[in-house]
Amino acid sequence: MKLIQRDGESFLFHISKREKGLLFEVLKLYPLIPIAHHRVSQTAAAPRVTESQKLLESALADRTRENKRQLLAMLTQEARLQETDGAHRLTLSLPQMEWLLQVLNDIRVGSWLILGEPDEKKGKPIELNDENARYYAAMEFCGLFQMTLLDALQQSS
Amino acid sequence: MAETVEPVVLPDIEKEEQTGDQGELEPGYLVICWDDPVNLMAYVTHVFQVVFGWPKPKAEFHMLQVHNQGKSVLTRESMERAEHYVHQLQSYSLHATMERDA
Repeated sequence: MKLIQRDGESFLFHISKREKGLLFEVLKLYPLIPIAHHRVSQTAAAPRVTESQKLLESALADRTRENKRQLLAMLTQEARLQETDGAHRLTLSLPQMEWLLQVLNDIRVGSWLILGEPDEKKGKPIELNDENARYYAAMEFCGLFQMTLLDALQQSS
Repeated sequence: MAETVEPVVLPDIEKEEQTGDQGELEPGYLVICWDDPVNLMAYVTHVFQVVFGWPKPKAEFHMLQVHNQGKSVLTRESMERAEHYVHQLQSYSLHATMERDA
């Protein structure tokens, strides 16, 4: 997948059939991070921390619903993906780039959580098995797609 | 934080702009971003740029603080604005919290 053209806030990507299939399969995993995973504070010292936590969870639930709605639209709108020469052209607006980055990162971080939060720096390697291997793949694929989007934003800015 | 190699330009040391009237009597809340081994460095930098409107050097400076020191204090705000920023950062799946400034 690579950026081939930017026109204002519209980004046009070339994406191979295999990449498109992979991207759409990975996106079906969204959302993966449980809302309760997000904590507004690490200490109980802040007053109104309970209310703040509820506000955070409500805001994130709204955001997740909206991301899911846009995701379903993307997966079903044929006009956004045009087939050409055995590959596809994917058109994304700047706001769509942002939500796609959020969605991909949710899947990446959610996969990491499912994998048991591995951290090689702390001597906690990934322990793969038949059950979690697909999440390892999803985590890495999401990282690759994220870097493609970030590079595209960087190149054009 | 998952590493991506990029040249980094540190920002000039500058006094943080005060947002709103933050007199000594007004309690403040620190918005803190914590390190994790999964979020990409380039992604974290991008999120800081989008959420705070920072130029890239300043965003990278804070991203590297998170990466090297385990956390970075991103801003000090009123409770409502701190909540807003934490919501924004967490919607990008960053590990961000708000703590009362002692």
